[in-house]
Amino acid sequence: MSAQTLKDKTNEVLGVNLEDAKLTKSYLLVAFIALLLGGLFGLLQGINRAGLIELPTWLNYYQVLTAHGLLLIVVFSGFFMIGYFYSGLSHTLGGLLPKVRKLGWIGYGLSMFGTVLVVIMVLMNEASVLFTFYPPMKANPIFYFGLVFVVLGIWACCFGAFIQVANWRKENKGQHLPILSFFATGAFILLLACTLFVAVEVLFLILPWSLGWVDTINVMLARTLFWAFGHTAVNIWYMTAVSAWYVIVPRVIGGTLWNDTLTRVVVVALVIMNITGGFHHQIVDPGISDTIKYMHVFMSLAIGFPSLMTAYALFVVMERTGRRKGGKGVFGWLKKLPWGDVRFLAPFIAMLAFAPAGAGGIAQTTFQLNSVVHNTMWVVGHFHLTLGMSVAMTFFGISYWLIPYLSGRVLTPAINKLGVIQTIIWSGAMILMAFAMHTAGLFGSPRRTSYTTYGDHAAALGWDPYMMLIGIGAVLLLIGVLIQFYVVINLMFFAPKGQTEFPIAPKEPGDVTGYWTERWGVWVVLMIIVVAMAYVVPIVDMIVNAPPGSPPFRTW
Amino acid sequence: MDQFKLGLGLFIFLAIPPVATFMESVMVIHMHMQMPMLIIAGLLIAPFFQQRFPRFFEKWNQNGLPGILLFIIIIGYWMLPRTMDEALTLQSVEIFKFISLPFLAGVPLRDSWKKLTDFQKNSVITFFTIAFLGMGALYTLAPDQLCNNYLIIEQLTLGWAFLLTAVGMIVYLLYVAFVDPSQYE
Repeated sequence: MSAQTLKDKTNEVLGVNLEDAKLTKSYLLVAFIALLLGGLFGLLQGINRAGLIELPTWLNYYQVLTAHGLLLIVVFSGFFMIGYFYSGLSHTLGGLLPKVRKLGWIGYGLSMFGTVLVVIMVLMNEASVLFTFYPPMKANPIFYFGLVFVVLGIWACCFGAFIQVANWRKENKGQHLPILSFFATGAFILLLACTLFVAVEVLFLILPWSLGWVDTINVMLARTLFWAFGHTAVNIWYMTAVSAWYVIVPRVIGGTLWNDTLTRVVVVALVIMNITGGFHHQIVDPGISDTIKYMHVFMSLAIGFPSLMTAYALFVVMERTGRRKGGKGVFGWLKKLPWGDVRFLAPFIAMLAFAPAGAGGIAQTTFQLNSVVHNTMWVVGHFHLTLGMSVAMTFFGISYWLIPYLSGRVLTPAINKLGVIQTIIWSGAMILMAFAMHTAGLFGSPRRTSYTTYGDHAAALGWDPYMMLIGIGAVLLLIGVLIQFYVVINLMFFAPKGQTEFPIAPKEPGDVTGYWTERWGVWVVLMIIVVAMAYVVPIVDMIVNAPPGSPPFRTW
Repeated sequence: MDQFKLGLGLFIFLAIPPVATFMESVMVIHMHMQMPMLIIAGLLIAPFFQQRFPRFFEKWNQNGLPGILLFIIIIGYWMLPRTMDEALTLQSVEIFKFISLPFLAGVPLRDSWKKLTDFQKNSVITFFTIAFLGMGALYTLAPDQLCNNYLIIEQLTLGWAFLLTAVGMIVYLLYVAFVDPSQYE
């Protein structure tokens, strides 16, 4: 018996590798603590926007906003993604290598250290830069140093994942990488590539400027580098969620993966075409030529194709499974799906939310529509639909089986019921909130501003009912956060002991995958070519024809 | 012959006047997109000639070296700033571009590449890496306009594109030096 099969057998008998489980549990715990704190800040923000409370002088709105964004967008999503994919790598590739586990812990330490620095600076009101380190607003240099450590931590995790995958491929020549690890590889490649941009921005532009070594900064260039990262980061979390839709959900409902090749093509397409989508965040920025803005429309919409493929594939899976279980008629198969199972319900509603979220995103891609909604509450609504609903709810759905799997416990019917209630509260609150935000945005209510009536201007007073809805949504969401946090702690430490499955959907019989999908070298080269085509021309222009540059501003 | 049709289609598409004019209007697209695409058209067309005239290729390009030499000469010629300029001002040079890049560079490249040893292949890539670094330095450091038809900003952009391409090739060379694909596949 070879070492590999021995390892597989041991894994089968003993379940999860305990040391790998500890690593993932640590990541997940940080993620959900961040969810709790970020949710609290979200509540404060929501009821302030509703005009119900006035924040004290020592805790202003912009500080709360920065903390809410950072904790949920960076810490919650980032830590969850790394923990989840590391457990996936461990499960599908026969346990993490000792050095990979060590890299995972190094990454954990560096990211935690960085996060603590960042949070301290935010709490000291030294970094209320609205969480997107977006010059010319300048935070305390320690804030940026904290971000550097977070990025270093991410890199350690990326390299760990690559070493794990390379090692597995060496030992399993000619085989396809298991599908969940395939997703993980794609996500970590994107994570490494996009953080390179932000590393250049922080190291070469922002740090010297925030330390006072240089007087001015090239705002245009910094923002462009930022969005090459920021946009991709959003899509990495989306890709993490999609991996669960493709791989986990079919198993939960008792079906199979529909088409392995298509799934892999979606991953490859997302890797190649993602980074260049960043430009659409700067549609109304001056200093980017029309040609480049025109090009970005194609680059951004290109990402829509894998999403449409995903929508098609997932409904095929659900329909086939429903019919196999005896569902008749056009929609009869829907009745056969396990609606009472939170492991299915949460990701399913997340998928549904992605339809309007994606449509809104497409609206924002075009110049004219974007001109109407840019910097209004519309964008905030969009973000709550995508990250708050599609991604976060999928993550919640994952936590109901991943955490018991890791801690050697089981999901009890009571906790499942609580999960269903949580899912309903969260969905209702997010729908309410997203509707109110989108509508208020269309009426012109700006984002990233504290509650104000602009001197009782009639238009601004017209936003008030929507703001009240946002406040109600925020309260409900906090209830959702509290339930979720309770569930996570329960599943991690108190649920009854037992065996939980890591649900990975099997391939359909006869589904053959082309080996060409494994040529990661080619995909990375294509990604670099696409990125170069998109960025070389505008970035050279921004450097050579640079504006005079901006001194630092502290607006709070 | 599907590849042949694809290559011919690409060649005709690139030669359509509005397409050619657009691609030539931006320096970096002219050099780093139109020219490589013409070569790619030639690569796709190559099997047609290889099947039609097998004796010719056997006789004149037995070990691949004459073909790759011709490729290097043609590419070297089109890397000169002056030739790019002339392609825009003299129609005869423009026609020469559309003939030389697919048929005198693309076709021989396809025929030669398989015949070359790994060492020879990597030497060719190393040669172009050095050449691209040189071109990058030339275009980014030159204080004057090197092409009458393009502004200095476009020249700089092209220079950076050359440097980045060279960086990509260095990464590739390091990759083949340190990674053995047979260990993985």
